[in-house]
Amino acid sequence: MRATLRWAHADLRTHRGEALFIVLATAGIIVSLLLAGALLSYAANPWQRVFNESRGAHVWIHTSPSADAAVLARLDGVEALSGPYRTARTTVRSQGAEAAVELRGAAPDRSETGRPLITSGRWLDPGAAGGIVLESSLARALWAGPGDTLSLPDADGSSVRRLTVLGVADSAESPYRPGDRPGTGWVLPGEPALTGAPDGRTGQVVGVRLDHPDDTDFAVQRAVTALGAGEVTEVSHWHQARAEAQSDSRLLGLLLGVFGLGALLAAALAVTGAISTRVRGHLRDIAVLKTIGFTPGQVVRIFLIQHLAFALSGVVLGTALVETLGARTPGRIGEAVGVWQDLPGHTAVLLALPAATLLFIGAATGLAAWRAGRVPPVPALRAAAPVGGRMPAVARSALGLKVPPALVLGWHNAFGRRTRSLSSIARLALPIVLITVALSAWSTLDGFQNRAAGNGPAGELTARAAEGLKDHEVRTVLEANPRVAAAHPGVEVAALVPGQTGTIALRGLGTRANPYPFAPAEGRAPDGPDEAVAGQGLLDLLDIEVGDWVRMTVAGRPQILHIVGRAIEPENAGRVVATDLDTLRERDPSLEPAFYRLRLRAGADAGAVSTELASVLDGRLEIGKATSPADGLAPARGLVTGLIAVLALIGLTELLTTIGASVRERERDLLALKAMGLTPRQVTSMIVTSAALTALAAALTGTTLGVLLGGSLINAQGRSSGIGAGIAQSPPALVLLTVVAAAVLGAAAASALPASQATRHRPTDTLTTTA
Amino acid sequence: MSDEPAPPPLLRTQGLVKTYSGEGAPAHAVRGVDLTIRRGEFVAVTGPSGAGKSTLLHLLGGLQRPDSGSIWLDGERVDSYSEARWAVLRRRRIGVVFQFFNLVSNLTVADNIELPTLLAGSNARQARSEREKLLAELGLEGKERSMPGELSGGEQQRVALARALVNHPDLLLADEPTGSLDSKGTREVMRLLSRFHQRGQAILLVTHDHRLASAADRVISFFDGRVADDATLGAGTGGRGVSSVLELKD
Amino acid sequence: MRLPLLALLARGPAHGYELKQGLEQLLGAAYPQPNVGQIYVTLGRLEKSGLIEGEEIAQSNRPNKKIYRLTDAGREALHVWFEDPTDEPRVRDEFFMKLALAPASGMADQITLINKQRRQYLNTLRDLTKLAASEDRDNRISQLLIEGAMLHLQADLDWLERCQEELE
Repeated sequence: MRATLRWAHADLRTHRGEALFIVLATAGIIVSLLLAGALLSYAANPWQRVFNESRGAHVWIHTSPSADAAVLARLDGVEALSGPYRTARTTVRSQGAEAAVELRGAAPDRSETGRPLITSGRWLDPGAAGGIVLESSLARALWAGPGDTLSLPDADGSSVRRLTVLGVADSAESPYRPGDRPGTGWVLPGEPALTGAPDGRTGQVVGVRLDHPDDTDFAVQRAVTALGAGEVTEVSHWHQARAEAQSDSRLLGLLLGVFGLGALLAAALAVTGAISTRVRGHLRDIAVLKTIGFTPGQVVRIFLIQHLAFALSGVVLGTALVETLGARTPGRIGEAVGVWQDLPGHTAVLLALPAATLLFIGAATGLAAWRAGRVPPVPALRAAAPVGGRMPAVARSALGLKVPPALVLGWHNAFGRRTRSLSSIARLALPIVLITVALSAWSTLDGFQNRAAGNGPAGELTARAAEGLKDHEVRTVLEANPRVAAAHPGVEVAALVPGQTGTIALRGLGTRANPYPFAPAEGRAPDGPDEAVAGQGLLDLLDIEVGDWVRMTVAGRPQILHIVGRAIEPENAGRVVATDLDTLRERDPSLEPAFYRLRLRAGADAGAVSTELASVLDGRLEIGKATSPADGLAPARGLVTGLIAVLALIGLTELLTTIGASVRERERDLLALKAMGLTPRQVTSMIVTSAALTALAAALTGTTLGVLLGGSLINAQGRSSGIGAGIAQSPPALVLLTVVAAAVLGAAAASALPASQATRHRPTDTLTTTA
Repeated sequence: MSDEPAPPPLLRTQGLVKTYSGEGAPAHAVRGVDLTIRRGEFVAVTGPSGAGKSTLLHLLGGLQRPDSGSIWLDGERVDSYSEARWAVLRRRRIGVVFQFFNLVSNLTVADNIELPTLLAGSNARQARSEREKLLAELGLEGKERSMPGELSGGEQQRVALARALVNHPDLLLADEPTGSLDSKGTREVMRLLSRFHQRGQAILLVTHDHRLASAADRVISFFDGRVADDATLGAGTGGRGVSSVLELKD
Repeated sequence: MRLPLLALLARGPAHGYELKQGLEQLLGAAYPQPNVGQIYVTLGRLEKSGLIEGEEIAQSNRPNKKIYRLTDAGREALHVWFEDPTDEPRVRDEFFMKLALAPASGMADQITLINKQRRQYLNTLRDLTKLAASEDRDNRISQLLIEGAMLHLQADLDWLERCQEELE
């Protein structure tokens, strides 16, 4: 329709700034959401990331040294092979720890498939003999990094081969598990430790990358058949590896999932607000258009098409920006985007997220356009000015008491109209709620750092003695170290409960004479005989509560415990029950402590202490860090920061929209105010005050709700993952105050410019038809 | 007296009723109005404010729906038309001018005048030539690119008239077009209305300015929602009144 | 004075003093008090014109009272007076009389009077506009005279509107 186009074209010409703002705002929001999506995928799929980057093998098959592994390459469905590599099993010792390792002979030019990703240091170098690259979980357990020396006992145990750590790498295989599975260390194929290993400990390993990952079981069958069942010693599946890697990231995943939805909502509200403001500014023109002869349908169409066009441009712009420049963003975000582009869900999210936003914006625009279509064609019939509220007596008396009129009027502007004020406060509060929830997550992570395994603030280090050492020897050594505050003996056994197939970890920590400082989230610490604390996972599994009695069997012998408290247990999905050593000794008097939990004095450096202790007793003491739920959550901090930035951007858009809308509405009032004798400066400060007060109300509401919501969300997630509720920590009051202050100052700053522009408007302008 | 049947009147209403239900008692703006306007007739509607004259005009232009009654436009019954159909009518057959807010604020004068022609289906070239003609006639050449906000009140209303008349509608509805103008602006608008009336334009003018009303062929006095008097001017006593008014007593 | 008296007599016969009271009652304190003598003189003139006729009524212990009655001619004159729209705007007092007395006499309807007067004014206004257009533009005095007349007429028309609002 020519007339429609003419109007749309002219409107664009006059309101170029507004149109640009809406397009940019939409683009900004899409960029934010896509980045958040990338961060989410990155965080929730650490294994997937590694797998993709390393072009991981779906199946790793361990065979005997003589098997012909190369035959697998010719099988149907096999895309590529990694290896085969010669392997040798041995133990490796570093300064403070010892671990079982499977050495692998790898070529200096890493193969395409199943290629380990170097995280620090470098790969093997043919020129540097005696080098080893450790897999990251092994490196963590050994407390080793590039440049450290490891010692391997020789075949007959007499001499020791020393290897230098050249680098640490990530791989998509199952991680190191002490006592369960050896870690992986790559060495040059000619490495004597590898070639000279005794026959019983050598083998081959080959990684198979499949065309169709879903076909794994079938492919494994065929591979085993091809190799000969007698030749295959072990097969590991990518599902396994993924499951093991992801057990800690569920907490993160769900937390961020909630964010995604919340951010989408906040974003769409912001853009919707911008659109409604624009439509509201056009109401008089719409009446004239209808008088001229535009049908209501045409009016609706004009607005709908115009704004959908804006939204589409914004979405396309934002998506294009993320796709082309996203990977170059500095820091974690850039990394996340780079990885995300390789992840399987990438295209889906890239299309779905903008489509969802477009849909949402379209719906909101449709609503605004429909309302525009309903404007009566008679200009005077529309309620001319926004209906205000009576100034309450308080305000009037405040004016009488010489409170600056700008302040009082600003207050009245901000809070005078009930529904309008509430809706603008609510819309500003939403991003703040989400930011506060993010800060709660941060504080929770901080809380984890300061406590270990939920069993109390103690136990930064765990000491295990090698076989042959007497318990009292160990204890003497440990307690003798000046930096150790206390050493609590501990033992962990696997227990069975009737009716359950999985095992429960039963721990005995401390003695009754010298009790371990349990710090249960609920209930109390064990005090008398047979009392214990349990993790949420156990309570859920057995469907019991704190205060119940539970019966379990350990190695055939029964153990009855009274659960008096609930503790935060990140390990074993919370299926842990802990009591003191004496209780366990009642069942089995021969129990000796298997490890010691060491509590260090304040200010002691864990690394230094561990080195000291390891060197005593001929290095037969294995020192490790006690696990904490925060271990798997290290990338979370970067993510939380990124999310907060995204939400702040959305909040800013919302703020600018609200301010623009309120300034425009007040234009007519400005004339009356100036006539009353308010100076331009007073009028400006009135507008700024009104914006600041709205932001204050929104920030206070937002932070309060955010603290409550964040706490309940984090606790809910904790409870469902078995770790247990009670992990949530609120952000410190100072941080919250900073958020509130930032919101208020931001609002004041953002409103200062439009306010001063509005007051400089010539008074007569508002009386003409352009108002 | 010819033998052919008289052509149907341009506009005819019967029993038009419109009531507003505001807070408190309902306000009967129009109560049962029967009205006929022939082609080329200039009818003025006067009356005190609040009598319902503007509402009547809105009803006749389809800007509001009557509660009951019928309206015939050129023999076609239009009172139950939907808003969309009324909008189509307003493009070619009815032009409306209000006291203020007649122009789209973000379009230039040229665009404002051309918009109805484009809407009615002309192409851009035709629209432009019509617009140029009208602007010349109204003495507004050179103002094509101005925005409405840059014009004086009188100029704005002249542009509004141009916009309303660019499609040569059968009927022009004008609601207090000079209400917010000074005497100069009022004179300009009056001159234009008379000029167009002489060319055969039918006009319904709602006004409280009796001098304007006296320029019409018929003056309808509207009181309290009803037609109190329907006077055809020029057929009266004429000259005697003037001379007796002007005699200077000695 | 003449026609108001005629109008009062249209209700029914009355004597001089009753007519005086009637006028006073009708017009109230705002209007100057009618002089009895003036009334009798006017009554005499009216009788002489044949518009009313008097009749002496004998009273027992008082002087004779003269009762007046409206004649057909008088009634006719009254008709004409009511029918005729008043020309001169300066004589709106006359129109006001008509308006005030119409319900008392029962011979004319106030709204109809107003409508008729309005038509007259509008027509005059129209003619004045034409006159102004045809008159020499540079003759300021005559233009002003016409303008003045038009403004008076506008004022009167506005006043008519107020009357109609109040009396409806």
